Amino acid sequence: MSNPTPTQDTKAEPAQQPQQQKPPVLEEDDEFEDFPVEDWPQEETEQGSAANGTSAHLWEESWDDDDAAEDFSKQLKEELKKVEASH
Amino acid sequence: MATPTLDRFLSSVADLVKARDGSQLQDFLQLEPPLPDIYRQMVVELRQHYPSGPKEADLLRRCEALVPKSKGASWAAFATFMKLYFTFLRDVNLDNLLDTYDLLKGLLNQCVLALGDSQMGVVVLPTVLYLSKVLSKLAMGLDRRPELVAHLLRLEGRSNQEEATEKVTLVEKSANVVREAFIKCLTDRSGTPGIHGKPEGKRIGIYLMANLCLKLLFQCGKLRNAEQMFASISAQSPPLKHFPASQRVTYLYYLGRYLFSNNLFYPAQIALQASYDQCHRQATNQKRVILTYLIPCNIIMGRFPSSQLLQRPEAEGLADKFLPICRLIARGDYIAFREHLAIGSPETEWFARKGILLALRNRCEILVWRSLARKVFIHAGFHGESSHGPAQRGPPPYLYLNKLDAAVRWIQTQHAQSSQGAIGFFSPRPEVDSKAGQNLVGSQIVNKTPDWDFEGLNELEAQEAVASPGLMAKYGDYLAPDGCFDAHGQWQANAVGNLVDGQPSAEYQHYELDPYASQADSGQEGKPTLMMRELESILASLLTQGLMRGFLTHKNPRLAIPGARVRGAVPTGFPNVSQTILAREREDDNVPGWVQSPEMAAVPAAGGGRVVNLSGARPVGVQ
Repeated sequence: MSNPTPTQDTKAEPAQQPQQQKPPVLEEDDEFEDFPVEDWPQEETEQGSAANGTSAHLWEESWDDDDAAEDFSKQLKEELKKVEASH
Repeated sequence: MATPTLDRFLSSVADLVKARDGSQLQDFLQLEPPLPDIYRQMVVELRQHYPSGPKEADLLRRCEALVPKSKGASWAAFATFMKLYFTFLRDVNLDNLLDTYDLLKGLLNQCVLALGDSQMGVVVLPTVLYLSKVLSKLAMGLDRRPELVAHLLRLEGRSNQEEATEKVTLVEKSANVVREAFIKCLTDRSGTPGIHGKPEGKRIGIYLMANLCLKLLFQCGKLRNAEQMFASISAQSPPLKHFPASQRVTYLYYLGRYLFSNNLFYPAQIALQASYDQCHRQATNQKRVILTYLIPCNIIMGRFPSSQLLQRPEAEGLADKFLPICRLIARGDYIAFREHLAIGSPETEWFARKGILLALRNRCEILVWRSLARKVFIHAGFHGESSHGPAQRGPPPYLYLNKLDAAVRWIQTQHAQSSQGAIGFFSPRPEVDSKAGQNLVGSQIVNKTPDWDFEGLNELEAQEAVASPGLMAKYGDYLAPDGCFDAHGQWQANAVGNLVDGQPSAEYQHYELDPYASQADSGQEGKPTLMMRELESILASLLTQGLMRGFLTHKNPRLAIPGARVRGAVPTGFPNVSQTILAREREDDNVPGWVQSPEMAAVPAAGGGRVVNLSGARPVGVQ
C-alpha cells in the first residue's frame, strides 16, 4: 500500500474503458422493460383504440404467390415445360 | 446508549409495523446507494455500538422489540430480518460485488421467511418485492459483465470450471429465492383463494413475483423451472384479469414465450396477442419485444404480418427480419430458405439470440414445400377436364411426382451454378444442399458431409493389405497396440506396427462392409428413386397435416386431388394454411397458465363457441 491514491486512480482508468464498451453487445431491447405506470384503462391500449372505429388488419392469411411474372415462378414454369416436351 | 439515529429509526419502524403500513416500511428500508445522510449516520452508530461479534445479540434483542406480541405467536422471522438489514448496512462493501450479492440474497431470504407469517407477512410484501428487484438487477448486471466478479470467484475457489459443473448461476440462484416469495404469495390462505378469489392479502403479489422470477429464468435459460410455476398458477391463482394491466401484459408476454419455446404455437399466439392488445399504446419498446415473438408465432401458423402492422412504430426494423422469410416461404425455393436461416448466415444471429431461429427453421420448411408443390401443380399438373358433363366424369386432378422431382433437381442445379458465381435471385453462397441430388446414398434433399470415421469405406477393397500411415497415425494405439489379451485372458505381446486383428484384405474380404449395399438396386426399372421416396414422404407429411388434400399413388407416383369439381383443383388440393391450422387448433382454446374468470372458463363446457373439425369429412356426393 505504498502507492499514493492518485496513481491508483490513473491506473484504474484504462482498465475500465473496455468494460464500458461492452454493454452494447446485448441490445437493450432484449429485455422486457418495466412499465412506468402500474395500470391503465382499455381505452389506452391498442385494442381500445381499434375498437373505436379503425379495425386493424394485422395478419395476412392469404399469401400464396400466384404472380406468374415473378422470377422464380417464371423460370420454374419454363423448366417444367422443357420436362413436358422431353417426355 | 448513544445511538440516537438508530433509536429514532427503530421507533418509526415499530410504528409502521403496528400500523401494518407495508409500503411506508419498504420506503424506510433503503439499501441502494446513494443513501441519505441519516442512513450513513446510522451506519456509524451501528459500527460503534454493534460491531460484528457478541454485541449482535443485543442488536437482535432490540429488533425483537419491534414485533407486536399480542396474539401469542411472535413474528421472530421479522426481527431476524431487521437485524440482518442493519448488519447489511454496516458491512456492505460495494467493491466486492460477489459479497454484496450474497449478503443481499441472505437478506431477501430472511424477508421471504417473514413474509410467510399468516398474520403479519403481508406487511413485508412491498419490501420483498423491492429486495427481489435489487437482487435481480445486481444478478443480471453481473451475468452480463462476468469480468466484474471473475477475480472474486477465482479467489474463493469458485472457478469457472466449478461453476460449469454446478450450473447454478447467480441469476438462477436469485430466481430460486424469488420463487419462494412467489409461492408464499400464491398460497396465502386468507380470504377466498383460487379461481373465485380476488387479489387480496399476499395474493396481490402473485404476478409481481412471478414476472420477476420469469425474467430471471429467461435470462439464465432455465425455462424448464418455470413449468411448475405455471402449473401452480393454473391451480391456485385468482383470474389474471383482476390484476393491473402492467402485470397482465408482462405475465402474458413471458407465458407466450414459454409456450412458444415448447412448440405450443397456438396457445402462445393467444397469450402474445393478448399481451400486445392489452399493452399501453405508447409502450413502444414493450410492444416491439412482444411482436418479436408474436410475428414468428403467426408465421409458423401460416399468418404473415400485414404491411399495416409492419408500418407501426413498434415494428420498426422487424420487417427487414421477417419479410424475407415470408417471401421465401411463398416462393417455394427450399434451398434459399435453408440458406437464409443457416448457421453462419448474417441473418441468423439475431434470430438465434431471440431464441426463434430453430422454431422458424424447423416449422416453416414444410410451408416452403407446400408452396413448391403448389407451384409445380399449377404449372405442370392435370387440372381436370371441364369439357366433360356432370354425367361423364373424367379423372380427378393430379400431378405426376416426377414433375416435382424435376423441379427439385432444377432448384439444386440453379443453386449449384449460382454458388459458382452466376448472378440472379439465387444467392451467391456455396450451398451444400444443392449437391444432395448427387448423393449415391442417403438423402437427396439434405446434404450431410460423411462421418469421417466411415469415410473411404467404399474404397476399402481397393486398399492394400498395409494400413496407411495416416490411419496408423490416428488409430495406431488401437490397431497395433503393444499387446493384447487372448481368448484365455493371457497377455500377448505384439510386435511394433503389427495389426493385431490381421490384415483387412485377407481376413474380411468376404464380408460386406457397405451399410447401403442392399439399396444398390434403387433407381432400376420399377423401383422408385431415392429422390422419389423422399418427395413422397414430404408430400405424405403435408397430407397428414392437412396442408394438402388428396392422396398419393405409390406405383406410377402421383398426387391426386379428388373432390375438386366445385372449388377448383388448386384451392381444394392446397387449402389455406392458416385456416387449416386454426380449424384444428381451435378445438382447444385453453391457454395453460392463464387463469380465466369462472364465467369465461365455463363457456367451453356449455358447448358454445366450439368449432367442430370437419377437415377430414368429404362433401356429400363426392367420392
